[in-house]
Amino acid sequence: MIVDYNDIEIGDEMPPYISAPITRTHLVRYAGASGDFNPLHHDQTFVKMIGMKNVIAHGMLIMGIVGEAITFWIENKYLRKFNARFMSMTEPVDWDNVENTKDRATIIVSGKVVKKFEENGEKKFECEIIAEDALGSKKLSGFFIAALP
Amino acid sequence: MADRSKMGMEFPAYTFTVEKDKIIEFAIAVSQKESKEQINSIYYDEDAAKKAGYQGIPIPPTFPTCSFFWTGGGLMGTVKTLGIDLSRLLDREEEYEYFGSIYAGDVITRKMKVIDMFTKGKGKRTIDVTILESELINQRGELIIKYRSTLMEI
Repeated sequence: MIVDYNDIEIGDEMPPYISAPITRTHLVRYAGASGDFNPLHHDQTFVKMIGMKNVIAHGMLIMGIVGEAITFWIENKYLRKFNARFMSMTEPVDWDNVENTKDRATIIVSGKVVKKFEENGEKKFECEIIAEDALGSKKLSGFFIAALP
Repeated sequence: MADRSKMGMEFPAYTFTVEKDKIIEFAIAVSQKESKEQINSIYYDEDAAKKAGYQGIPIPPTFPTCSFFWTGGGLMGTVKTLGIDLSRLLDREEEYEYFGSIYAGDVITRKMKVIDMFTKGKGKRTIDVTILESELINQRGELIIKYRSTLMEI
């Protein structure tokens, strides 16, 4: 884990993070934990009614996974800003067709340091982040800013 | 489409206690684990958190958004208030600014307002955007986190 500003250089890559294939159970657990009970994320009859094939993951679950990826590298307490723009939907893995559906449900998070700067007496850096599935479809792009001692 | 007359609307302030078990539940959910023993110990063990330089058990980075779902009748109530069509609703963007840390046991007041409403695109392919800004203020009156949620109706 990085703790020193001098250990970070522009161009450094964030350690890659690969999620478990997202299941419907993960969605239900996130719904309960966060309070986001939009039926889009668990109710097959609702998604059918609005013309979609499958329930989809909460964008905020994907961002939560990215948050987990970041704090694996840079401790929570050093974060100053965290931004994500959602780019595409994520369908969970189907248990009766795991081989063909696990890649669309697996989130790979990567990132690159793009800036080092001082602000308000703190030594900060900015890291751009991308989350994509194992098929290469982009789910989210964003950045975080952290201040390090 | 979201009701444009709600532009600038301030939602009633909402005060809640940050429950330790809710932090654990959230940390398990975003790390896709089954039990607390499998997650980062700073989210359930106060001694571990203090050793790691926290004053208590901290919250995961995206935990603040839960406050959106815990008030105003939850997602359905908030969406209804704003006139948003649930069947068209998707997250577009989320951004947090952290000025300090929130710990288990803190009593947080959330203030939320509508800061922008607009339509993007032309003809049939338009997207209606609503941006909400929330401030989380602790029991000492300190602004700890500010976050913006950009919702879109596609």
